[in-house]
Amino acid sequence: MKPLEKYNPGVLFFYFLLLASIAMFAANPVMIATALMAMIAAASSYTRDGLGRACVFFFIIFVLTSLANPIFSHNGVTVLLVVNDNPITLEAVLYGVMTGVMIFSVLLLFRVFSALMTSDRLLCIFGRAFPKLGLLLAMTIRFVPLFGRQRRKIENTQKTLGLYKNENAIDTIKGKLAVMSAMTTWGLENGIVTADSMSARGYGVRRSRTSFSMYRFERSDAVLLVLVILSCTFIFFGIATDMLKTDFYPRMKLPPFTVYSVICYVLYAGLAFFPFAAKLRDRAHRAALDRVKMHGGSESSFGEKIRSMYQNETEERSTFGEQ
Amino acid sequence: MEVLRAENLNFVYPDGKQALTDISISLGEGEMMCVCGPTGSGKSTLLRLLKRELSPRGERSGSIYISGRRQEELGDREAATQVGFVMQRPDMQIVTDKVWHELAFGLENLGVGQGEIRRRVCEIAGYFGMEEWFDKSTDSLSGGQKQLLNLASVMVMQPRILILDEPVSQLDPIAASDFIATLGKLAREFGISIIAAEQRLEELVPVSDKLLAIKDGRIAAFGDTRECVERLVSDETFAPYMPAAARLFAKLADISKEFCDACGYGAAGKNASMPDSEITETGVHIKPGVEEKLCEEENPCTEGRKQKSRIPLSVGEGRRFLRDTKNIFEEEKCLTARSEGKYDSELCDARTEKTEGIRKDSKVGSAKESQNASRETALEFREVYLSYERTGKDVLRSLSLKVMKGEIFCIVGGNGAGKSTAVCAAAGLVRPYSGKIKVFGKNIRDYKGQELYRECVALLPQDVQTVFLTDDINGRHPYDLSGGEQQLAALDIVLATKPKLLLLDEPTKGLDVSLAESLCKKLKGLAAAGTTIVVVSHDVEFASAIADRCALLFNGEIVSVCESRAFFAGNYFYTTALNRLLR
Amino acid sequence: MLVIRNSSLRRILRVLIPFVAVPLAVLIGAYVFEDKMYAYVSLLITVLAIVLFISGFERRETGSRRMVIVVVMTVLAVVGRFIPIIKPVAAITVISGVFLGGESGFLVGAMTAVISNFFWGQGPWTPFQMFSWGMIGLFAGILSRYLKRSKPILYIYGAFAGVLFSLIMDVWTVLWYEDGFSWEPYLTAIASAAPMTILYAVSNIIFLVILFEPIGKKLERIRTVYGI
Repeated sequence: MKPLEKYNPGVLFFYFLLLASIAMFAANPVMIATALMAMIAAASSYTRDGLGRACVFFFIIFVLTSLANPIFSHNGVTVLLVVNDNPITLEAVLYGVMTGVMIFSVLLLFRVFSALMTSDRLLCIFGRAFPKLGLLLAMTIRFVPLFGRQRRKIENTQKTLGLYKNENAIDTIKGKLAVMSAMTTWGLENGIVTADSMSARGYGVRRSRTSFSMYRFERSDAVLLVLVILSCTFIFFGIATDMLKTDFYPRMKLPPFTVYSVICYVLYAGLAFFPFAAKLRDRAHRAALDRVKMHGGSESSFGEKIRSMYQNETEERSTFGEQ
Repeated sequence: MEVLRAENLNFVYPDGKQALTDISISLGEGEMMCVCGPTGSGKSTLLRLLKRELSPRGERSGSIYISGRRQEELGDREAATQVGFVMQRPDMQIVTDKVWHELAFGLENLGVGQGEIRRRVCEIAGYFGMEEWFDKSTDSLSGGQKQLLNLASVMVMQPRILILDEPVSQLDPIAASDFIATLGKLAREFGISIIAAEQRLEELVPVSDKLLAIKDGRIAAFGDTRECVERLVSDETFAPYMPAAARLFAKLADISKEFCDACGYGAAGKNASMPDSEITETGVHIKPGVEEKLCEEENPCTEGRKQKSRIPLSVGEGRRFLRDTKNIFEEEKCLTARSEGKYDSELCDARTEKTEGIRKDSKVGSAKESQNASRETALEFREVYLSYERTGKDVLRSLSLKVMKGEIFCIVGGNGAGKSTAVCAAAGLVRPYSGKIKVFGKNIRDYKGQELYRECVALLPQDVQTVFLTDDINGRHPYDLSGGEQQLAALDIVLATKPKLLLLDEPTKGLDVSLAESLCKKLKGLAAAGTTIVVVSHDVEFASAIADRCALLFNGEIVSVCESRAFFAGNYFYTTALNRLLR
Repeated sequence: MLVIRNSSLRRILRVLIPFVAVPLAVLIGAYVFEDKMYAYVSLLITVLAIVLFISGFERRETGSRRMVIVVVMTVLAVVGRFIPIIKPVAAITVISGVFLGGESGFLVGAMTAVISNFFWGQGPWTPFQMFSWGMIGLFAGILSRYLKRSKPILYIYGAFAGVLFSLIMDVWTVLWYEDGFSWEPYLTAIASAAPMTILYAVSNIIFLVILFEPIGKKLERIRTVYGI
């Protein structure tokens, strides 16, 4: 297992797609719970600010969807309370909660996906299939930070030239707009240079351009791809044959635990926790490297250094001896 | 083998402006041609005409041959690959967001397969030493790296001709000379023919085989570099563009001619016997036979020059030439002559600096310092520490300096030394985390809101395009102006705020020699009128011409600061070509 | 740049793609894949946008310049989306459509959605945003003659664009939270999103008032000076 970032972007894309589709189609509490736990683990280890602020927003969505269902849907037999002659049923609440959890975990999954699918990975996928689109995206992605930097530069310069001299809100807004206008001119005029640079390097010479990517398709990618396809086929078969289906109305009925469904749950858990497992392994590996550095590195005490050198030497000798 | 030829090329822009008249040039395989000329002389138009994809709109007559075939007959693919083109602005030429992707861009356009692209991209990255930043995003590179990337991503298409339009004008001197060295290597090792236009030829001329000088769209000189330089160095328009060594040579030649005249031996009299006596009235002691050698070697009018008397192009050649003629010129000659105002002042200044100049200057310096003490300080940095990121490296560390009112103060230093940061801090755009900055005796933090910028401090930023807020400058669109004109227009806008303290960040970027001179005059006039000017620049020639005092910034701190002349005489690397010649 | 030389094919594509293919893709995406395969749908719409864009080309040599200008406008819209509360995305899309042609307008709108969602989060809403902003740009191109001539019409169009955007996004809301589309929740969604709709419309008008003239002038200049 290599770190998730090292896998081929196409394989990763496919993996996330299937993972999300199963979570959405299965409508199975066990699987959705698994997905939720796995995605919380993954989001906290892959995204920069962990679960962070975005999750508050996701949680609000979760609460809203959970509440919305019992308000709109009055199916189900177990009436909890009656509001304005409308019964609120346990089944509707449960269904709402499950939908909420599902949406919450899928949103988390998108977050992990966004963190992993950096622009160059996404370009690798899109670019292969649609080279022209790939180029357009690549150019835009390059221009966004460039424009941001230019905006700051213009703002600074204009500040010294007395752009915001009246120091009130209207003046500030006017100033910002003037900066935006200057930035537009700058972008358009200098864009011509970029365009010339493109034509000079043969842009438009051929009807179809290729799209190059540094990512290779390795054996480990193939292994992951095959594993993902096999287990997903297995699970999808379960979904298609209603073996994993949960009924909510009129009364909630969980699917029976059969050998098949348990295998499905285990497979799905394996799939869903894969990013987290890969991260853990990677961390352990790095921690081990740090330990080696601490003990055998140049920062260690002289005595330790000698000892480690000596140990290495004896090890080498012993290997020579074996030969 | 001839790779490129243009015959009787004429070009008229749609607005009726005749840009090129009767241009005929040719370039052989592996040859390097340097194109020079004032702003607006038609350099860019010519270079763009040579690359079909970039030909400007307008009326063209005459023909261009690429590898013996007419330019129009080339297929799209051939036209794209055979001729490579690198432009001025490093940033805007980059198309994609990753270094490796940028390298692959041209090959992608040609529809080359994955494996082949991978091989060629990696190969070229290895050749240009780009492994370190191969995976980086293009946004994070320095200016020099960006321009190298532009060159590499053209080279990956394996062109036979490489055209560069002012490729190093936006780079600092060290990156520029690295870039030019790379060009020379490409010409030598791969037989690529190179045409490069540039404003400053100090570095480019020594490595080029041919030189093309254009003025008002016509050829002023074309041919072997040395011959052209020899011819142009006495030309009024082109002399300032020539390398310092060549200019010095020309001056020496003039002097020697004067000597000959003074002795009664003009160019015509060179075969006459030399006098054994000393020339007492000028105080010059000339040993018998030496003057004859001098006349023969250094006088441009002399026919049948020997090999070693050829005009020097680089500092190295210049030094060798000076060494050879050292016995001829003795210090006292120069000094005496100077006292009589007979010699060119530039030459003599430089000559004397080495011996007594520093001594004298230090005296002058101390005198000035005592004078300064009585003057008001315009800008003061007191142990300023600044860093952009909380945990990042210090950009300025313990920076202390004092600029007096009415003074022109220059800060020179390499890339990333913190020059720009220093002026931004002085303009109140970035805040130090420790230390004090005082503007006219008042702490910069005590200036509230926009107070600092009301007829007090103004900054001309490195990127002058950020100055233009409107699309109309004296009836013209700012982007219709050439780089140099933009620079001057921006300065005018900045000056309109009537600053007492003017901060200039790389004011000579993209300026040609004549514009730099007019800028120099303008700034000196301002200083005389009482404006304090702080310039940070890579351009040591400009700094030496303009500054009262200079400081060398290294790694965020000032390592030396003294009176301008002593500063450049004392420096080894950060000094003018002339100083290097005469060290 | 790829050119479609056949002018009648070009004309057909110009009509077919925005009015038949793109809505079809959205509907199929919504029903057949139950809206869960947003990635495919957004991909498909983007490709359609590109084909549409290409079909707008007349001369080949302007290809790269025009492309860069579209990129610049897209970047402006993407950067503009960082402005708090009122967003200039639709206004910039309209301006691009008016001055660069409907195809470019479509592309600016669609690309802005994809790129800005790298910052704002990709998800099933991406194709809907692509489609709505794209259409706003396209119609602006078709109506460019009237929009250039009369300011009131321009502002009405801006307001209409805001409403259109909101209506299309409400479809997404319904499809995503309910299984399949039905009118009742759709109307509820429209009602609950009314404040947002007004905000969209108002911010479109504000930005059109501010940006239309200056950016229009700049684009006109680029077109005449550099021959695009």
